[in-house]
Amino acid sequence: MPLREGEAIVLRTYRLGEADKIVSLFTRPFGRLRAAAAGAQRARTRYGGTLEPLSYIRVWFYERENRDLVRINSTELVESFFDMQKDYRMQVAAQYVAEVAERFFPERQANDRAFRLLLGVLRAMKRSGELGAPLLYFDYWLLRLEGFLPDLTRCAACGRVLDDGGYYGPASEGLCCADCRTPTTPRAVAASALELAESARGVTPEQWLGTSKPAAVCAAARRFLEDLIEAHAEKKLITRELLDAGV
Amino acid sequence: MSDFAEPLARLIDELKRLPGIGQKSAQRIAFHLLRDSPEVAKRLAAAIIDAKEKIRLCSLCNNFTERDPCRICSDSARDHSVVCIVETPYNALSVERTHEFRGLYHVLHGALSPLQGIGPEQLKLKNLMERLKNGDVKELIIATNPTVEGEATAIYISKLLKPLGIRVTRIATGVPVGSELEFADEVTMLKAIEGRREL
Repeated sequence: MPLREGEAIVLRTYRLGEADKIVSLFTRPFGRLRAAAAGAQRARTRYGGTLEPLSYIRVWFYERENRDLVRINSTELVESFFDMQKDYRMQVAAQYVAEVAERFFPERQANDRAFRLLLGVLRAMKRSGELGAPLLYFDYWLLRLEGFLPDLTRCAACGRVLDDGGYYGPASEGLCCADCRTPTTPRAVAASALELAESARGVTPEQWLGTSKPAAVCAAARRFLEDLIEAHAEKKLITRELLDAGV
Repeated sequence: MSDFAEPLARLIDELKRLPGIGQKSAQRIAFHLLRDSPEVAKRLAAAIIDAKEKIRLCSLCNNFTERDPCRICSDSARDHSVVCIVETPYNALSVERTHEFRGLYHVLHGALSPLQGIGPEQLKLKNLMERLKNGDVKELIIATNPTVEGEATAIYISKLLKPLGIRVTRIATGVPVGSELEFADEVTMLKAIEGRREL
């Protein structure tokens, strides 16, 4: 039973019995894992605050054959996002990132670009105290990395440039223009929102946050991308409802 | 098909629903109950039913009680100007065990946890606001857990109560008594430094 080691982001934890926790981790070298942390609920736990949601940690764990759960041996904190989540709005936004990551990233499949995306977005939120622009960046790149992002510039049906925005529906594969619009594509997204979303391509989260973005356009772009995320997740996201409620 | 007779399988299934009880523990408890005298099982069943029927939430503090208001809320010897806010009834019990706190409690029955769908509406905050209206309460001690959820709840409540001008304090967090500093992680150590006090 070899001891494995790697960087990880804690996505969420569940109570297990009286003193233990099950931890959902997104590790850099092994992908998403579920781990048991013995005694993690105790006041004097050896893990301290390292297993709090969204902590960026280094983890050492044992893995047994034919067991779904790995066993955490020890952890070390690399970067904490604890204080950022004291604000309820930020907590909801951070947990939205965790919920989407749990839904989209399959277990035991390493994805370094996704790991860097998660970390980059959390750092952007922590530094800026903003949530709209970092979440838009996250939504755009998540869909892009997972191969679900449609062409935001041309109609999927006729290929026309979407100068006046586009239309989409819950089951549509891409955007269509006003001429190709059908009853299955009832929702509209403005050209300015598509342009803003597309501007996340080829820039780091820091560069992205360096320019100001109109809040209404940012919200419209997020609404469109998050509709796509929910459609591909095939499930309503709990945290999205809270974000939409304007917490 | 189940390995057990139907009534036994049903008992195991029901026991498994309890927190911290898995298949093995449920089987062990079920077999223990079967081996023991029928009176033991009857007493246990009667105690569960009795508790479910008689225990309710105190209309003031939301703690479990047999009479309303509860023993603590109706105790005139206690300090009614200080209220300690906790997440669960057993958190109130932990504070009570110190024998130092002589104020009242308010149980939220949860903490803000977006992933579990627990928002401010799910917490017992409505009757807290009503409690504070008469102006008797001078200090609120927020004793939610030192977790992300507990901290977010504490900050949310403190913002909510700011307009009322009541003193809001937070329990100290940091290095546990009896532990060694070298094993404290950065978050815990930072909280300990932030919460330092004059000697």
